[in-house]
Amino acid sequence: MNSSQQPGLISQSPRLRISLYFLLVAATCLLIADISVTSINPMLEMQRFFAAWLKPDTDIIGIAAEALLITAAFALLGVALAAIGGLLIATQFQHRWLRMLCAGLRSVHEIFWALIFLQCFGLHPLTGLLAIALPYSGVFAKVYAEILEDVSPGPSRVIATNNSRITNLCYSQIAQAWPHLVSYTRYRFECGIRSSAILGFIGLPTLGYYLEASFSQGYYSEVASLLLLFFVLIATIRIWCHKRLMPIWLLSSPWLILSDYFNPAGQANIQWQNIERFFTSDIIPAPLRHAASFWEYDSFIALFQWCEKILTGQILPGLWNTLILTQIALVATGILALLLFPLASKLFVNNTGRSGGKLLLIIARSTPEYLLAYMLLQLWGPSMLPAIVALALHNGALIAHLLAKRSEHMPLRKDTPSGVNRYGYEVLPRLYNPFMAILFYRWEVIMRETAILGILGIHTLGFFVDSAIQEIRFDVALLLIISAALLNILVDYLAGRLRKKLRLQQMSSC
Amino acid sequence: MRAPETVKLMFQTPEILFNNEFVMTLKKTLVACLAALSGSLVHASPTFVFTAIPDQDETRLKERFAKVSAYLETQLKTDVRFVPVKSYAAAITAFRNNQVQLAWFGGLSGVKARQLVPGAQAIAQGVEDPNFKSYFIAHNSTGLTDNADATSTTLPADIQGKTFTFGSKGSTSGRLMPEFYLRQQFNQAPDETFSRVGFSGNHSRTIALVETGAYQLGAVNYKVWDSSVAAGTVDTSKVKVIGETPAYPDYQWTVRGDLDSQFGEGFTAKVKQALLDMKDPDLLNSFPRKGFIPATNADFKPILEVGKQVGLID
Amino acid sequence: MSAIALKDLSVRYGKQQVIGPVSLHLSAEQFTVFIGKSGGGKSSLLNRIYDLLSPDRQVALIPQDLGLVESLSAYQNVYMGRLKDHSTFYNLTNLIRPRQVDIDAVTQQLNQLDLADKCWQPVGELSGGQQQRVAIARALYQHADLLIADEPVSALDGPRASQTMQLLHRHYPGAMIALHDLDLALQYGTRIIGIADGTVALDQPAERLSPQSLLDFY
Repeated sequence: MNSSQQPGLISQSPRLRISLYFLLVAATCLLIADISVTSINPMLEMQRFFAAWLKPDTDIIGIAAEALLITAAFALLGVALAAIGGLLIATQFQHRWLRMLCAGLRSVHEIFWALIFLQCFGLHPLTGLLAIALPYSGVFAKVYAEILEDVSPGPSRVIATNNSRITNLCYSQIAQAWPHLVSYTRYRFECGIRSSAILGFIGLPTLGYYLEASFSQGYYSEVASLLLLFFVLIATIRIWCHKRLMPIWLLSSPWLILSDYFNPAGQANIQWQNIERFFTSDIIPAPLRHAASFWEYDSFIALFQWCEKILTGQILPGLWNTLILTQIALVATGILALLLFPLASKLFVNNTGRSGGKLLLIIARSTPEYLLAYMLLQLWGPSMLPAIVALALHNGALIAHLLAKRSEHMPLRKDTPSGVNRYGYEVLPRLYNPFMAILFYRWEVIMRETAILGILGIHTLGFFVDSAIQEIRFDVALLLIISAALLNILVDYLAGRLRKKLRLQQMSSC
Repeated sequence: MRAPETVKLMFQTPEILFNNEFVMTLKKTLVACLAALSGSLVHASPTFVFTAIPDQDETRLKERFAKVSAYLETQLKTDVRFVPVKSYAAAITAFRNNQVQLAWFGGLSGVKARQLVPGAQAIAQGVEDPNFKSYFIAHNSTGLTDNADATSTTLPADIQGKTFTFGSKGSTSGRLMPEFYLRQQFNQAPDETFSRVGFSGNHSRTIALVETGAYQLGAVNYKVWDSSVAAGTVDTSKVKVIGETPAYPDYQWTVRGDLDSQFGEGFTAKVKQALLDMKDPDLLNSFPRKGFIPATNADFKPILEVGKQVGLID
Repeated sequence: MSAIALKDLSVRYGKQQVIGPVSLHLSAEQFTVFIGKSGGGKSSLLNRIYDLLSPDRQVALIPQDLGLVESLSAYQNVYMGRLKDHSTFYNLTNLIRPRQVDIDAVTQQLNQLDLADKCWQPVGELSGGQQQRVAIARALYQHADLLIADEPVSALDGPRASQTMQLLHRHYPGAMIALHDLDLALQYGTRIIGIADGTVALDQPAERLSPQSLLDFY
């Protein structure tokens, strides 16, 4: 029995104690991190940027519409492939090796996947398709398996005799879980659109391609048009992604991504020797590739030195910066989510305010963090600050949205207090567990994103991966990507342990 | 082509399982669809594809090279397509993977591409390219712009401790040569000389970043600087040239070595001649160059040496 | 002030009329007990009365589902009865570190209900009966003018239920309480109102009723 005499919240609750540790670690990281605003006149640039939203460029709308079409097509096909693959794997999830394979697939960010496939397939549509499908199927497999595990075992016990495993699955588990499977897949499709848009930054003909080109030249009115259309696309997803329209989209998407008109750069055919060369030569560590024989003492010494050089010069600094940025961004995300969710909850604001709050959250969560970071980096200059703000805004808004939804289902007493008292005594204590559960789920996501943001110039792992690829050193790039993946799996495992220790509920759909 | 073989393989096993007529018809239809699909991936007559490193404003890259593409089409009498890429490395990869057969490379990217593709040759370069140079530019708040000698190849010692941006990580004029001369003058890596070193991505972005003061100093391709100044897109009261590098060879057109076997005997020579014959100022402005002259791989030996010294080439 | 007139009171859920129309004259200084079969509309009526009274009066409420915040300690849940009496800043700091004055006052209430040793335990970890007593402690701590309680002792055993009713009776001479235990109703109620099918089926002073007459009502 815990009847500690010490009053206060922190001492009572292990969840709050863990929160406090995270807060302290983040504060320490903040001291080490470089968070200065380096532009001389950030306000002027911001003014120019926001002024452009009042008069968006209309000439680019044609290009933007095409870009959005192909963005959606890539997302749809990628997510559809991943859903099918994920479901198949989910039914076999009792195999340990499959679980590990999925952990591996999802620990590598879609941009890293795309950078790998770019070497094998060039700008062929397969690059974009696989870059989305592989990590997403890893996620789908895990979440689908969790959903299938949750269904009531009753029906399957009733029909169990004499049926094949597949029949059993379809009639009992999948049939029961179907609504959950569909709603989760829908949610991931929205994520897929964001991923697909971002892949444009490395050359696919999706939205990011044009966004990067316009933004880097400071053509803000073009950026405004592109982003406005993107928000419209995300906001109207329920309309155009209607069940009846799905067959049309699914049938026209392959044509869109293969077509000469929409995807001129993707017309080159896939050549087997490129794939073979990538796997048998490009990714072999340089000392072994150039050595006369693999099994000589000298080549092992050279390999060891090569590894050591990369470890000390790139992996360790990259990991260190990735960790620092992740911990700050995680805590900032949490704080922002707790501050923002009342804006979209009817427990705290009236209907008008709530619509405003919801709009704010939609905009913030439908803008990919990579894009936000890119924009802030252009406006404020290079440091960790733009990355922290971008990660906190996107993920904070996402969590705030989930919390607001939850808060509205909360059973409140008739004599419940209002305002800050309601927040502190009624809502926050009840929401804190789900809040922590969601945040721990996002931990790994934030870390994956943090690594990627390095491509924009912050010295996390992505920076070194990008440098290696620019120098055509795929062996180094692969080593770096693998270390990012291992770090990610470690954090995923740690978050799982913490969730179990704090007895937080399972919340896969975030 | 591998695709049809794979299709056959895929259908060998089910044949044993499904042996009625309906399934067979279905199978035939599917094979036909897949064959049509894989057919659409490969063009009947080979299209000659070329690319260019994205060294400045990409929004204009496509339309500028569309004209060059049309010119080459009339000269070579074959389908020509321009493919834009997002990075220097992507241009090299596309060239290496035979997804493009001709590329407008920088010095460093060209050397790397030719290292990776045996037989690839530099065939033409701009009139200005044998004597190319980079400018070092600075924001006026640094105080370095007041008495700067723009033609000096020695930089003021005061630049130490300031913030500095290169262009792309794989650029010759925006990275390799400026870094080489910075290392030579200060005897240390740039990130020890400066308090912060960044990579803007391309030359026009470098100018913009130094102009807004996001970075105090930068290194930029002299051609891009001069044409930006001429076009009036740079505010020269905010950012000025404070020095330059000694001359070095830079941009060139490079073709794959197997071009003749892909497009017919003498095709390489035809491409070379078409480039050398390009006289229309409207076309030449896309680069911007006064004209093209012949080039050989040996012209870029100095770049290879410098690349090795800086550690960008193995 | 003490008289409460309810005219043509009705409650509907969607199209279904749950209560009324009912007209009642209640007194804020009387211990009124509502009885009736479950599903007969007692809870709906009490809720409706609470809605009507709470704007003008200080009313302590013990809803059927108790309305406790499970992740907070018993102390915090009881303290919540008096959030209105303190500034927001005071309340927020109390969440992080309670003041001795408040601890003493809350512990006093918990003591009366034999819960002193559970003061710092999250309510979610307590048994059903203990949770009910925490909700009662909150109502007692509130020092309101009037109590509205819906089956406040349903999870307590016989002697303890009686003891607790006594406590409530002492603190709140004016109360409206729904009970299913007829003995307790007769023992503590001054006036008994029987609700059946959404209407008032019985309204008598307690002394005129016998256990047998109440059973007849059912």
